Amino acid sequence: MSSQFNLEPMLELFCYETSQCLSELEQLILNYEKAASYNDQTIDEIFRVMHNIKSSAAMMLFNHISTLAHNMEDLFFFIREQDPEIIDYAALSDLVLEAADFIKLEIEKIKNEDEADGNNSLLISNIQDFLAYLQKNNLIPDLPAARPRSTSPEQYYISRDRGSILSELNVFKAKLFFEDGCEMENIRAYALVHHLKELAEVFKYFPADIMENDDSAMIIKDQGFELWFQSEHENRVIQDFFDNTAFVRDLDLILIKNPEELMQLEKEIEVEVVTSPDSLALSPEEILIPNTSCGQMALSSGKQSIISVNVDKLDQLMDLVGEMVIAEAMVIQNPDLKELELDNFKKAALQLRKITSEVQDVVMSIRMVPLTISLQKMNRIVRDMARKLNKEVVLEIIGAETEVDKNIIEHISDPLMHLVRNAIDHGIEDPQARKEKGKSLPAKVIIEAKSAGNDVLIMVKDNGRGLEKEKILKRARDNGLLSKPETEMSEREIFNLIFAPGFSTEAQVTEYSGRGVGMDVVTKNIEKLGGTVLIDSIPDEGTIITLKIPLTLAIISGMNVKVGSSFYTIPITSIRESFRPVAKEIIHDPEGYGMVMVRGECYPIIRLHEKFQVQTQVTDFTEGIIMMAENGEKTYGIFVDELLGEQQVVVKALPNYIRKIKGLAGCTLLGDGCISLILDIAGLSDDI
Amino acid sequence: MTRVLIVDDAAFMRAALRKILDNNGYEIVGEAENGAVGVKKYQELQPDIVTMDITMPEMDGLEALKNIRQFDPRAKVIMISAMGQESLVKESVMYGAQTFIVKPFNEKYVVETLAKIIKK
Amino acid sequence: MEETLAWLEEEDTQKGKFLTFSLGSEFYGIEIKYVTEIIGIQPITEVPELPDYVKGIINLRGKIIPVMDVRLRFKKPPQDYNDRTCIIIIDVKETDIGLIVDSVSEVLEIPEEEIVSPPEVNKNQNRYIKAIGKVGEDVKLILDCFKLLNDEEIEALEDIQ
Repeated sequence: MSSQFNLEPMLELFCYETSQCLSELEQLILNYEKAASYNDQTIDEIFRVMHNIKSSAAMMLFNHISTLAHNMEDLFFFIREQDPEIIDYAALSDLVLEAADFIKLEIEKIKNEDEADGNNSLLISNIQDFLAYLQKNNLIPDLPAARPRSTSPEQYYISRDRGSILSELNVFKAKLFFEDGCEMENIRAYALVHHLKELAEVFKYFPADIMENDDSAMIIKDQGFELWFQSEHENRVIQDFFDNTAFVRDLDLILIKNPEELMQLEKEIEVEVVTSPDSLALSPEEILIPNTSCGQMALSSGKQSIISVNVDKLDQLMDLVGEMVIAEAMVIQNPDLKELELDNFKKAALQLRKITSEVQDVVMSIRMVPLTISLQKMNRIVRDMARKLNKEVVLEIIGAETEVDKNIIEHISDPLMHLVRNAIDHGIEDPQARKEKGKSLPAKVIIEAKSAGNDVLIMVKDNGRGLEKEKILKRARDNGLLSKPETEMSEREIFNLIFAPGFSTEAQVTEYSGRGVGMDVVTKNIEKLGGTVLIDSIPDEGTIITLKIPLTLAIISGMNVKVGSSFYTIPITSIRESFRPVAKEIIHDPEGYGMVMVRGECYPIIRLHEKFQVQTQVTDFTEGIIMMAENGEKTYGIFVDELLGEQQVVVKALPNYIRKIKGLAGCTLLGDGCISLILDIAGLSDDI
Repeated sequence: MTRVLIVDDAAFMRAALRKILDNNGYEIVGEAENGAVGVKKYQELQPDIVTMDITMPEMDGLEALKNIRQFDPRAKVIMISAMGQESLVKESVMYGAQTFIVKPFNEKYVVETLAKIIKK
Repeated sequence: MEETLAWLEEEDTQKGKFLTFSLGSEFYGIEIKYVTEIIGIQPITEVPELPDYVKGIINLRGKIIPVMDVRLRFKKPPQDYNDRTCIIIIDVKETDIGLIVDSVSEVLEIPEEEIVSPPEVNKNQNRYIKAIGKVGEDVKLILDCFKLLNDEEIEALEDIQ
């Protein structure tokens, strides 16, 4: 392995870039499958992607990837140059996607520091077979190994009007070898001759067919390259020339003085005038001066002007902005200023708040990334599943440009994949069944993303058979998952059963879903992001699963409250309303738990001082404040001593040493330096 | 320090070359991801040497070479090629490329090549 | 290469140095390499559902750090905090934690020969003692910081027994 590179950053870059290339490739293939043919630009792009993967893989010594890419490159070179009429595009797409999958897998292994030990021989032989098939069906003969462009035959040029060819100048003979492994020795020889011609008149060289015959490289490797030339320059100058030519070794330079030898040489030289330019001048029309404004260059891959930023720096920036928000609060809400009338200060503080807020927004937006790539990955999943299950399904993506925090992107792909697979596997009926029901073909799966206030909504909809309540209830019954009598369950609650761990059993594990893992994996992942999963369905019409994910994780608007001498913060978005209850609004259920009546509906109350074991004087509901908190479908009241006010808070995680505590989402620092614990509204409601 | 412009559409290859050149005392004055940008940057930056990948989108290495040589007949361009690109390399020599390096390249060759070219 | 050597050297200069503190009549020592800083007692925010010896969290210039009352950890009777009470902030395996102690003494250098294995008595605090350091007539109990932080498994086992 080459020790020339510090491998780590290069390896990372290699993996990153190759993965990018492969995504591009997949997108290209999927786009073109629909069109049932490839246009020139696409072919060229595929060729280039493979070329790049080949080169970088070779640099990193991943030869099995490099060779595979090379074969793919050859295949596309063939298609590009020969433009065969008869191509099985479906098979071609499969082939490219298989190769892409192979490389993807190897990259994963590399990233995990496992052995990248994939065997590419089957794939390579498939590619070669395909190439052979193309040649046969299109009656195109075998291409030579090298890829020639048309070049006119070249021979050496000697001016006609020379009496004696050999004049007073120095006549030299040179024999040299090129460094081992420098490759394309014949071209190097050609370059050498070309440049030598600026100093000397070159009569002859051997091997002579360096331009036409690439096999001459072998001869040069074995036997060296010999040339005869004359020049007005001295030995030293000529020696310098060779010394300064890259890759030359073992130079043997002789000044020919012996008259007999000179005579011999003269006889051997053939005087043939050939019009073959050895340097090409350009006609004015050929020059392309690019436009000076970069914007006018429409890059076909659709990339915008982007710089890549190390994620660590972004994280650092986010942290600093968080600190800044806290520090700003510490200044403005400083206890020292409590009693003072400070109009000018207040004005300035307002301005500061405004600017800090803008900085916040911009920094958050830097971390925001469109969902496009994550959503487009689903195209492949839909295609593969539909093929394998023999169902006709198309995928529609709406709102791909919706942006989410970078953190979210990394964790959204798996749940989405699971949902899509589920929809196709269990939701969509096979074509026959759909026809019988009079439903449209192909079936549709729609992924729609949109932002809604502080959240992002991603919906996976299908127009399949919908959820069957009876089936769900039965399964839940069989797996002992029913905690409530069936008759008391709302439709939503029944649907939500499919998210319960253990819902999917071995009995109906298909290859793609229900591996006893089930939808609870989806919920866990989404909850980790602070989001919720909602499900809705109409029998025979379809199902919609909605992922609701808070847009920003780090800074939220919170309402600070006090219980005893402890402070808590509740995310504003979870609060429906707050009020001081009057006696008649409070009722107690048979077990003594307090409940509050709001506009005719009854809600449970969580007494924070009891829940968190905090000392306080305020124990009577009518002396404190009830805040109605909402989490997904559950609404409940939280009883606190008093409200302190709204504030932008930076969510800080509780230290690792303190393990996760139910009901707490983190903590934050108040203006005066006190710590306030941030409530996890979803977690608190679990016990109700 | 010798000033170098790196032209290659693959970020990985640019980074690899940059690493080698950095380690050996060369100054990278710019990078370009296709021939068109390469030509433009050549005009702006006037580097001492250009390393030019052959296969690129928008404008390939050969075209860019031609353009650069037209703009500056003394431009020193080193082509970066892959195996099997014999004709393209031939043409580039004809259009004035100083020499070429074959991918995958190693540090020794790159350094040697640049050192020799800059002397000319 | 140089960086490795420098770090090794740093290790050496810190070796044998201990920060000593007292709990009641006993003196303890912590290897100085773990100590980040020492602060006076400050308001502690309680956090629900924590073991009794973890009193809560504090705000140290914007960083949230959990604090442990070492008396309670060693199952000694608790004492009210006064203005001599200190919090020793230590950094063990990338975990920051503050140790509440009665008072902090000084940094002592104890040569290797003076450090011996702990005796078998006093079960409650013994598991946290790594060694005994002799300083003249006195004895300092050298703490094992790792055990101090992570001893749940052993405690759980003991409970079962």
